[in-house]
Amino acid sequence: MAEESLIKLENVWKIYQLEKLELTVLREINLEITPGSFVTIMGPSGSGKSTLLHIIGCLDTPTKGKIFLKGKDISGLSEDELAQIRSQKIGFVFQQFNLLPNLNSLENVMFPMIFQGVYEEERREKAQTLLKSLDLGKRILHRPSELSGGEQQRIAIARALANNPELILADEPTGNLDSTTGKMIMETLINLHKKEQKTIVVVTHDPYIAEYSKEIINIKDGRIISNHQTASKVLWSGKEHDKRIF
Amino acid sequence: MIKEYFKISLRNLRTRPMRSWLTIIGIVIGIFLIISLLSLSEGIKSAMLQQLRMMGKDLVMIMPGELSDILTTFIGGLKLTEDDLKAIEKAEGVNLVVPMSWKGEVMRYKGKTKTILIYGVPLKESKEIFKTDIGWDLAEGRWPIVGKREIIVGDLVPKDIFPGMKIETQAYIKGKQFEVVGILKSLGSKQDDSMVALDLDIFREITGERKDAQFAFAKVGPGFETEEVVENIKDQLQETRKRKRGEDLPSFTVLSNEKMGGIVNDIMSLIQVAIFSIASIAIVVGGIGIMNTMYTSVHERTREIGIMKAVGAKNKTIVNIFLIESGIVGLIGGIGGVGLGIGLAKMIEFSLSSQGTFYLKASASPQILIFGLGFSFLLGCLSGFFPARRAAKFKPVDALRYE
Repeated sequence: MAEESLIKLENVWKIYQLEKLELTVLREINLEITPGSFVTIMGPSGSGKSTLLHIIGCLDTPTKGKIFLKGKDISGLSEDELAQIRSQKIGFVFQQFNLLPNLNSLENVMFPMIFQGVYEEERREKAQTLLKSLDLGKRILHRPSELSGGEQQRIAIARALANNPELILADEPTGNLDSTTGKMIMETLINLHKKEQKTIVVVTHDPYIAEYSKEIINIKDGRIISNHQTASKVLWSGKEHDKRIF
Repeated sequence: MIKEYFKISLRNLRTRPMRSWLTIIGIVIGIFLIISLLSLSEGIKSAMLQQLRMMGKDLVMIMPGELSDILTTFIGGLKLTEDDLKAIEKAEGVNLVVPMSWKGEVMRYKGKTKTILIYGVPLKESKEIFKTDIGWDLAEGRWPIVGKREIIVGDLVPKDIFPGMKIETQAYIKGKQFEVVGILKSLGSKQDDSMVALDLDIFREITGERKDAQFAFAKVGPGFETEEVVENIKDQLQETRKRKRGEDLPSFTVLSNEKMGGIVNDIMSLIQVAIFSIASIAIVVGGIGIMNTMYTSVHERTREIGIMKAVGAKNKTIVNIFLIESGIVGLIGGIGGVGLGIGLAKMIEFSLSSQGTFYLKASASPQILIFGLGFSFLLGCLSGFFPARRAAKFKPVDALRYE
């Protein structure tokens, strides 16, 4: 890969210290995500895929190893510096939607922009535009509890886009949705990739998105077992004959 | 950004109105207690000091009995004898002695009868001292002529006690007829403004009191230090009592005006400290209430904290949001407490003044208001500090995973 990577993980380990037991969740992870790529992380539950996503998204820090963001080592940064990176460069979409329950849709989308020092008027305008583009124009004053799962997830996507980040991370975004709504959410993500050239990393079991994805990372027991470049239409088969690149 | 945090904090408080209000009431009670008591004691202090301030600096006060049981002195009827008064007069540096006596007597005016405090003052010798050093000033009329049955009355007498009393009219004390010749301007204390003053000789004549006094002023002569004269008077009094009565430890209180002010100030400050420490207990309880609520809130909102962090909130932001929340609780509690506290103090002032027993002005100075509000806001922030810090310490992933 000649172009500079957006995120690069170098020999990353994540070990949890539980009382007397050591639990290794991630081991020897080497990974590169290039700008504009659409990466799918797949694996059985407990394989460490969510932890991997959290480390990519600076929500969690590795026990060992290094992370580079656009070539800059960010492994040793403070919590606040990581918060700044999350605010500026990364948008999250969660399985549980994770909207702030006391804020309405508009305010939820406006919220991340506070940390970028955007003025209220501009925040409001931008949030409205985002919500309208996701077909939520009529829902801007509703609280999350008054919305369907699909609507909540689209608001979460709008929020993830609020600060115009380069990287969108989605952790099983369709896990709590029925298949039709799930498909709609996936299409939204695919559209973001196609039309706005966002870099997207999705943790999913969804074969539909895997079908679209250009790169599938299979993870098992904390190790990447395959990094599968799907240049053409390939359905994820779970086979382990894919080439290892690191 | 602070504005946004304020909005979020308010929103959070409003989602749990019951709990917020209960916590606020906890603060209201503490602040209410402290403000009402402080306001009253501050009022008493300023009334007392005000009175002392009206008097000249070169006056020495002499009272029988120890200062520590001053109340016993007044109620128990300890007196300065004629010998004592003479001894004071002999002390070096004393220019003039002004004995004062008082007694409650029945007074009749235009068919109305009331019990009133009658002051006997030696008008002949000391009219000037009363005018210049003690601050007696006529609003209308003139001073009584020595030897004649004439009285002057305090400012409140024609207002409250005998409404419509005028000069050059007749009043009766113990059945004897007196002419009202003058009305004084306010002396700053309800007690003093409600009295009737007449010449000491006539006072003794009608009340049957002997030639002693409950209280005396001594005016310091030119060229003498007040504190020095205080010591001279003490020495003279002790010597006289030893000689005449064989008392070993005669008890007197001899004080300069300045010292008196200092003592009043000290006593009142001590009382205020005591009040403050007792009321602090209520405030600490209120603070613990805030802390408890905030810990519960942090616990319940762990996931929200995780979400906020995930979308870019720094630790400081989380601390600020929670601190503002607890600060608002404190401030609202403070507003309620200050309002109720001043209200109660004013009510006590009003009920006391309508009874006419004791003169008191509840102080509602800006200092007390600012203190009350500032203190409660600070209390809120302080109590919210540890919960807020705990909230900020959550790792984003852990907080997000929290159910």
